[in-house]
Amino acid sequence: MVGEAVSRIDGLLKVTGTAAYATDYAIKNTAHAVIFKSAIAAGKILDIDTGAAEKAAGVLAVITHKNAPKLNEKGGIRGGALLQSPNIEFHGQHIGVVVAETFEQARYAARLVKVNYQKTDAKVDFEKHEKEAVMSKEKDKADAVRGDVEAAFQNAEFKVDEIYDTPIEHHQPMEPHATIAVWEGEKLTLYNGSQIVNGAQTAAAATLNLKPENVRIITPHIGGGFGSKGGQWANLILTAVAAKAVNRPVKLALTRQQMFNSVGLRQRNRQHLRLAATKDGKLTALAHETTTHTATTGEYIEPCGDCSKVMYDVPNSLISYRVVPMNIILPTYTRGPGKSTGSFALESAMDELAYQLKIDPIEFRLKNEPAKDPSSGKPWSSRKTVECLKEGAKAFGWEKRKLEPRSNRQGNYLIGYGVACGTYPARQRNTSAIVKLTRNGSDINASIELAASDLGTGTHTILAQTAADALGLPMNKIGVKIGDSALPPAAGSVGSVGAASFANAVNDACEKITDELIAKSGKQFFVRPTAAQLMISENTSEFQTRVDAKPPTDADKFSAHSFNANFAEVRVNDATGMVRVNRFLAATGAGKILNPKTAHSQIIGGGIWGIGMALTEESTLDPRRGNFVTRSFADYHVPSNLDIGAMETIFINEDDKIPNKLGVKGIGEVGIVGVAAAIANAVFNATGKRIRELPITPDKLL
Amino acid sequence: MAEDFDELNAVELTADETALLEDLPELSEIGEARRKFLGQATALGLGALALNLLSPEQVFANLEIPADAVFAPVQVENGVKVAMKINGAEKSLNVDSRMTLLDALREKLNLTGSKKGCDHGQCGACTVIVDGRRVLSCLTLTASCEGKQVTTIEGLAKGDELHPMQTAFIKHDGFQCGYCTPGQICSAVALMNEAKNGEASYVTVDVRGKARSIQLSDDEIRERMSGNLCRCGAYPNIVDAIREVHTGKDVAQKWQFAGETETALFENSVSEDAKQ
Amino acid sequence: MRPFKYTRASDAMNAVSTVSATTSAKFLAGGTNLLDLMKEDVERPTELVDVTKLNFAQIKAANGGVSIGATAKNTDTANHPLIRQNYPLLTQAILASASGQIRNMATNGGNLNQRTRCSYFYDVAMPCNKRTPGTGCGALDGVNRNHAIFGWSEKCVATYPGDMAVALAALEATVKVQTKDGTERTIAFADYHRLPGDAPEKDNNLNHGELITSIELPKNNFADKSYYLKVRERASYAFALVSVAAALETKGNVIENVRLALGGVAHKPWRALEAEKFLKGKAATEVNFKLAAEMEMKTAKPLEYNKFKVELGRRAIARALMQAMNGGKA
Repeated sequence: MVGEAVSRIDGLLKVTGTAAYATDYAIKNTAHAVIFKSAIAAGKILDIDTGAAEKAAGVLAVITHKNAPKLNEKGGIRGGALLQSPNIEFHGQHIGVVVAETFEQARYAARLVKVNYQKTDAKVDFEKHEKEAVMSKEKDKADAVRGDVEAAFQNAEFKVDEIYDTPIEHHQPMEPHATIAVWEGEKLTLYNGSQIVNGAQTAAAATLNLKPENVRIITPHIGGGFGSKGGQWANLILTAVAAKAVNRPVKLALTRQQMFNSVGLRQRNRQHLRLAATKDGKLTALAHETTTHTATTGEYIEPCGDCSKVMYDVPNSLISYRVVPMNIILPTYTRGPGKSTGSFALESAMDELAYQLKIDPIEFRLKNEPAKDPSSGKPWSSRKTVECLKEGAKAFGWEKRKLEPRSNRQGNYLIGYGVACGTYPARQRNTSAIVKLTRNGSDINASIELAASDLGTGTHTILAQTAADALGLPMNKIGVKIGDSALPPAAGSVGSVGAASFANAVNDACEKITDELIAKSGKQFFVRPTAAQLMISENTSEFQTRVDAKPPTDADKFSAHSFNANFAEVRVNDATGMVRVNRFLAATGAGKILNPKTAHSQIIGGGIWGIGMALTEESTLDPRRGNFVTRSFADYHVPSNLDIGAMETIFINEDDKIPNKLGVKGIGEVGIVGVAAAIANAVFNATGKRIRELPITPDKLL
Repeated sequence: MAEDFDELNAVELTADETALLEDLPELSEIGEARRKFLGQATALGLGALALNLLSPEQVFANLEIPADAVFAPVQVENGVKVAMKINGAEKSLNVDSRMTLLDALREKLNLTGSKKGCDHGQCGACTVIVDGRRVLSCLTLTASCEGKQVTTIEGLAKGDELHPMQTAFIKHDGFQCGYCTPGQICSAVALMNEAKNGEASYVTVDVRGKARSIQLSDDEIRERMSGNLCRCGAYPNIVDAIREVHTGKDVAQKWQFAGETETALFENSVSEDAKQ
Repeated sequence: MRPFKYTRASDAMNAVSTVSATTSAKFLAGGTNLLDLMKEDVERPTELVDVTKLNFAQIKAANGGVSIGATAKNTDTANHPLIRQNYPLLTQAILASASGQIRNMATNGGNLNQRTRCSYFYDVAMPCNKRTPGTGCGALDGVNRNHAIFGWSEKCVATYPGDMAVALAALEATVKVQTKDGTERTIAFADYHRLPGDAPEKDNNLNHGELITSIELPKNNFADKSYYLKVRERASYAFALVSVAAALETKGNVIENVRLALGGVAHKPWRALEAEKFLKGKAATEVNFKLAAEMEMKTAKPLEYNKFKVELGRRAIARALMQAMNGGKA
């Protein structure tokens, strides 16, 4: 079954509305909580009057910093806002929570709370504070230098030296962050969308000063996450606190507006990118210097320079980061962290240099293809960039592209083609799994159990496929149980490690159970029997085993990545500047494709995220007040259906068992990497305008 | 649901279940595609059962409206009595005047298929069909639903048989996380009627043309589905699913492995010039 | 959302009396904007009178034109054969707005009364003279990208957000209103919405308790050459940066009559009267369209973040007129 385009096994639940997300659990006697937030960006609460709220009909409790329990702020919850002090670090920080009998009552009462603040100067204007940025204390964000970049630039005949700006963006999964908390004595059950099931468990336990085994996370279906449900945020803890306070189950969902300053964001990046090349198109220097912001209370920097480290063969290179703490919520990993934004700068600059050199941008890239990882000197486990570019170009009809911009017009529209590459590391993480076999006559069923997660990635389905093959059972005999911290611990669905970690663990478990059944039989076989056959031949009615899978020990000796090439055709309205993507094609080399149907969905999903990044998505802060002016789906434009044209996917066959036994590289992130640049490059090809500040809204093309 | 989750065991298929799975409505009568689709439909159906220990009867049993007031509040403020039909069943409710139809479905009737994505009419996840038309349940007061007929995602299947749109969404992977899916499907189902009635859209080339049943282009489907946001990026698959139901013709897959015989990439890529 | 009393009106006069009697009472029609604002705590009615069961949903020929009922849904209005045939501009404008679901809910009367989408108006943590008179205008010195370039005041720089009303302004519709003393009055469309001046809390000239009963479309000869152009930051389901309702009546190549109204640029649908004056009697050429656009936009007063709207407005006016000349085809 592995490699087959199987429809999702959870599809029936999802199309009938019966798949249960965090707030879909009907738990008796549930009370409803609503959070309220700070109206200033920095300072402290002098006084908070909850009297009217407490007296409002149906209200059970109002919790603020004045009566919140003491929590462990270093327990692993991201972004603070745990009601532990009157201090305000960013606009929209949680300052309290109302619990009431009904949602309507809680929402109303939350509006009755009156707060008196002492404001201090808030740092919210990046333009103003950019100069205060300093080097990070994180080791992997130290300056990475190879050769002599400055000398190479001085001597270069052809160079690009530009600033590329990307705005703050928000994940905004369709399911807002939401939790139902249920206490039974000291035991706490949290129904809560969690990309890293065990991570949510340990962070919640540590923050609430509980033993991890007393906290259970249940999250079989997650309504999207894109990084924002990787780490957990204060709303999870406040739900548990509220439930404890009223001694009842409590449901708390962030409002869409609250999502903008509750669960992280993709930070604004100002990327200074310099490239130098000889006149025949050989790169001589690459400098990628990123300046960004972080929270006043913690640091996260997305690695914008990562693609620049590995994409091209260049002898002199500099990758650096500078960061300034500001009164803005903590940034966090967001789909294709660093690579999606970093590739916008790198791959736009590559296009600019190719145009300067009058070389086709594909040819320019092929000329600079590295034989090994230039940053580490390690050999590639596999790298299919050349095939991605060539196969993609063929399928896309790249030969029709003209080098000179503004040379393709159809009526009121200017048409342009763009290309850009991307990459994302391939890794496997420790994951345990149990496989249980039961037999009833000749009918054998398997249950696969691990604390993995499925946020739309297709985990349920690929694990059923993997187990079916490894056990010798049809897929309809495989039950997949994930999304529960009571199951064996697993990696998270983050950083594209999910499929590799989960599938390899399941495969290992199935092989192990087969080995054990063989050993149990005491027989020797010429042909290795399947577990299913052994259950029957040995007349076993129940059997189970567990495996603790780890990545291959020598994986580190290689540089393992997925690679892609993205092709976009845009049309630009020559009067209004509105851009549409007519066609988009991604050619991807991402190891073994476990299920091309769900893999295609992952790739086009990444592509659509890239289209949003390129054309529509921008979170804007009021530079004086620190509030998000874009505070709803009406202001923050995630792409709509009409924004998306035809999307095609080509998979490059890759047999690479170095990163892990099954040869799975992961595709959740690589799909977005390079997309924004491909579109910006297509816009240049259409209009002759080089847009270096995303998103490319109509005003920028007038 | 929580209890179900605790009791996962292997599942056996009853004769009824097997029959149901074979009865999943297919969209194509064309040999190869049909065979493949049936194979997949069977796989997905069974997998889904094993997944959460739901037999088809259980899946569909969930669609029946349970008793009122799963956790009714002690007192209802500004109570309004409303009688309406939900998925064919008469319901009488006494609701807080502030309660939206979405919250009534989810919190009072345990019909949690309709989703709260934004609660402000900006995402479409709460789309339900009221008196034959798609509307947003988050911006509808329950109090205003007196005498109305409401169809939610839970009411689309007829008995054990999925609505063709539901089947097409599975076949074309018209979702990833699944959270916007009930709204997308309700919207798509209602859209079929709008097309039949010849209703125009902003991308309709000539709105002065007589209203008659129209064949929707991809851009027409896209524009008309733009009130349903999907953050995972399933839009092209959603369009494929709708086109397949709308036209009754198979829509080809949009992916291939390099080196395989090339399929007709971008077969429908000649996009109509949408107004900008 | 504050607690409120809900009643269903069965009789228009009763509804008007009920709402008139209480300053914090409001009519509820489609609810697509009112409920949104109530959840944000911007609107705080203590009583809602549901008028959707009142008999104001007809769309019918009247006085040589067409009368569209106040409680008729946007969808039904856009698709009514009388409107599609005779006022395709209105059909396009309605269909450019919101989403299919919202148009199925929204009524014509409610649509006129939708409130600005200014983020400072919506966010109760922010100052806003429109929401809370006297607190200042957050947008004036804030991020005012989506704000007005015509007719704003120091008190308010918000824009009217709708599309339908922009077409109605161009079509010179009139609004029929039932007053609290039981009489009916008629408001010319140009006088319906207001500029903010010193009282931005008032969006329009409806008195409290007055109920819109219908919108009257006079007969015209624009149906062959009209177009509604909407420029926005995504392809669909977004408010306009700038929109243009353009309608032409030509004889040979000479413009006999022309109407132009702009959306997204002012506190009300903005009639481009300067441009209209220039175009009347001139040849219907792209050059003249551009000159007219230039003439209109040179009186614009953009704010810090919306300077682009001036050039965008120029281009949009010229393009909309060209599209109108081409028969208004999409």
